[in-house]
Amino acid sequence: MKAIGKAEFSNFVDELIADDPREVIGVQAKSNKFAFDPLKSAEDLRLDYDVTILPPKKYFMPQRETLVKYNTNEGEMTAVNEVIPRIIFGIHPYDLIAIQQMDKVFEETHSDENYLAKRRESVLVGVNMKNASEWSFAHTMGTATTDSGYDLMLTDIGDKYAVEIGSVKGSELLEEAKSQLDDVGMEEIEKVREFKEELPDKFRDDPEFDPFELPRLLSEYYGKDGFWEENAEDCLSCGTCNLVCPTCYCFDVKDVNDITLTEGERLRTWDGCMLEAFAQVAGDENFREEKAARYRHRYMRKGRYMYNKFGDIACVGCGRCSEQCVPDIADPVDVFNQMKEGTNGI
Amino acid sequence: MESNDSLFLPEQARIIGERELTSNTKLFDLNFENGKELNHEPGQFVELSIAGIGEAPISVTSSPTRGTPSFELCVRAVGNVTNALHRMNVGETVGIRGPFGTGFPAEELKGHDLLFIAGGLGIAPLRSLINYVLDNRDDYNEINILYGCKKPCEQMFEDEVSNWARRQDIYHEATVDYCPDEVCWEGNVGVITELIPGVDIDLDETYAVVCGPPVMYKFVLQELEKKELPHDQIYLSLERRMKCGIGECGHCQINGAEEELYACQDGPVFNYERIKGFEEAI
Amino acid sequence: MKPESVKPKVAFFDFAGCEGDQLQVANMEEKILDLIEVVDVVNFREIMTERSEDYDIAFVEGSIATDHDAERLQGIRENASWVVALGSCAAIGGINSIRNSQPYDLVQDRVYGDDADKIEAWDVAKPIDAIVDVDGYVYGCPINQDEFVHVVESLLQGKDPNIPTYPVCVECKMNENVCVFARNPEKNAANIKAAVDNGSPAESGPFCLGPVTRAGCDSQCVNEGTTCWGCRGLVPNPNENAHQEVLEKYGLSVDEVINKFNLYFGWQQEELKNEQ
Repeated sequence: MKAIGKAEFSNFVDELIADDPREVIGVQAKSNKFAFDPLKSAEDLRLDYDVTILPPKKYFMPQRETLVKYNTNEGEMTAVNEVIPRIIFGIHPYDLIAIQQMDKVFEETHSDENYLAKRRESVLVGVNMKNASEWSFAHTMGTATTDSGYDLMLTDIGDKYAVEIGSVKGSELLEEAKSQLDDVGMEEIEKVREFKEELPDKFRDDPEFDPFELPRLLSEYYGKDGFWEENAEDCLSCGTCNLVCPTCYCFDVKDVNDITLTEGERLRTWDGCMLEAFAQVAGDENFREEKAARYRHRYMRKGRYMYNKFGDIACVGCGRCSEQCVPDIADPVDVFNQMKEGTNGI
Repeated sequence: MESNDSLFLPEQARIIGERELTSNTKLFDLNFENGKELNHEPGQFVELSIAGIGEAPISVTSSPTRGTPSFELCVRAVGNVTNALHRMNVGETVGIRGPFGTGFPAEELKGHDLLFIAGGLGIAPLRSLINYVLDNRDDYNEINILYGCKKPCEQMFEDEVSNWARRQDIYHEATVDYCPDEVCWEGNVGVITELIPGVDIDLDETYAVVCGPPVMYKFVLQELEKKELPHDQIYLSLERRMKCGIGECGHCQINGAEEELYACQDGPVFNYERIKGFEEAI
Repeated sequence: MKPESVKPKVAFFDFAGCEGDQLQVANMEEKILDLIEVVDVVNFREIMTERSEDYDIAFVEGSIATDHDAERLQGIRENASWVVALGSCAAIGGINSIRNSQPYDLVQDRVYGDDADKIEAWDVAKPIDAIVDVDGYVYGCPINQDEFVHVVESLLQGKDPNIPTYPVCVECKMNENVCVFARNPEKNAANIKAAVDNGSPAESGPFCLGPVTRAGCDSQCVNEGTTCWGCRGLVPNPNENAHQEVLEKYGLSVDEVINKFNLYFGWQQEELKNEQ
């Protein structure tokens, strides 16, 4: 572990913005919320944020991504992989854990280079959570801290950041701030320990469940009459809970042509299993026509199916779906609590 | 930047043959421009790609035992990609990714009796296995083929179907849901499930292989249930909207209480025992 | 469409509407040059004086509100291979359908005053597909130029255009906008509390029709800091009741909610009721 004074840290970030060929990203205020965006100045970096509107997955799996370009006259198709090397400042532990889950999906399916190359070319600078969203239940999900998934991890210990090095990439980045770094003593280590000890108090205290119970509970409730219908009644099928989720990765593929019909691109765009047409096939057959079936599918994905495949609970407790759902029906804590308490049926 | 290891770049294949099978279904014979073979198993599918229109999953209808290196796709014009393909001519090129998915267990079926049940366009994937089996006839026991269509003009592969009818080593019945008065039709009239009771099934030896429109499965399975055919001796090929073919995009997920399946990886061919607990499957 | 083939002839027509959608097309700048490389525009009064009755694709703007309109539209349908509704008024009845829920005499009197008796219109304004078969829709008030290009391109290639069936929220999230309902959390919280304590919210709350409105506009109004007014019409299966409850919960009165929904959804809501 190293430490760096806050002023020195700001200089370091400003130097990277000025000199490093990579794009420097950081969490910034966006009106009364926060978002990951390209940094113009270290001043804009808000390491005290609670949660961002979208998770940083947008840098590895962009909202709209060109996979193939084609020329219809020549019949020629070219694979495309737009990789912008980036240094990303301010990723919270739950998002780092989510990224590690996404890595498994894109590695273990078929080594999707469109994702993996963007990951390889990114440096992830994490930050322990100074503030948590009122919806976050990361502590319950065991994602309030992490020992892996970052290249560097910062902890605000007053006038300094403690810096943990998680990878060679991280230590290389830190080289550029070498002269500014302090060695840490017992005092700093103690402060980081205290910081982490106080973390649980930052999160909501209403979760009644243990994440390891979720696969079993979800299987028990899968066929429970009325449970999903009741919870999904006010669902607008707007896909918000999918789109803001750091572990959702489903996509659509579509061709977009210019009007001369000669050039075009095949894009993959974010999609969501809560959207009505997600499971529709040719001839208008829809295998998940009811909103309750789609609502259930999302929960099963998060708490059961990804667990089967990778051993992960794919809900990291960030609270984004809970916060951003307009009719306020997407809160996993509410649904998991209902299961745990055995209301609505069991 | 350009990428050399994309999962999404189709390989160019040229249309070398095209034949109308019904008013809205055509058979396309395709050859990769680079001369390679598709190397598919019966029951697998490819992503057919037309630049500017998009991609669509299409099952391979030819048997790997026949006509290689070219391969055949039997395509009904129902969407943008399939309609665009229908407008294309011999000599033009399309993109192909694949083959993808789990096909029929041709090895496991060896030494057994087979009962093929095809409804409508469901004949397309089944034909791949049927011809594979016929080309390895000695490896399999009794072969029964039931093939149903809405009406006579929708029956496809007439030459092959009449060959099945002629062969002594195949039991074959065809049916149509209805036959217009002015049309000559020698087969049965009625839904395909009505043919199942007439088939003599050795319950220890018979595997049923079923493919048809979603609505058909429930009724066919009911009939096979009456015959008491064990569930693990039934294979089904399911249709879903596989957009990527590689288990990523999520569109072909089939969800169940304990686990989910990807039609593009775990299927499209499934053993009925494996999927019967999945309420979304059938 | 290959360059050597004959270019399809395109004509524009307008009915009850403001011609704002044709203006969007006329304002396409460099893209309009690309457009006229692939089609022949034979009838477009905003940019040319020539007129022709020989056309393949008819873009129709505006709602249908009189017998004369309907006859003229039927004539267009007979002439054209493809009829495309251009903009909200033609596609969904649009803003003209505000009046559909009001007594016709009152509307006539309000709009035309002393001249009211000179006007003979239907008591409701209708989208063009209430009169003739329609081959394509370009939604929006005004239309989105990129989507117009996509619809033209799709027609020329013989494919169904990819028009979203999901709500504006999808694009709004992709654009990482601060949700309209999250812009003023203190006021929202006070409203919700007041509704619980006193039975009604303290003051009028935020409104956004994005959750029930068809996407395809790239959420441009919210991107610009305003709110979705629903100009692209309802999604195919809207959960209207749930969204009306949301709006009421945040502080809109029932009348306000109805008014917001009637701005663009008048005709569609009536259709939904008839379906049920």
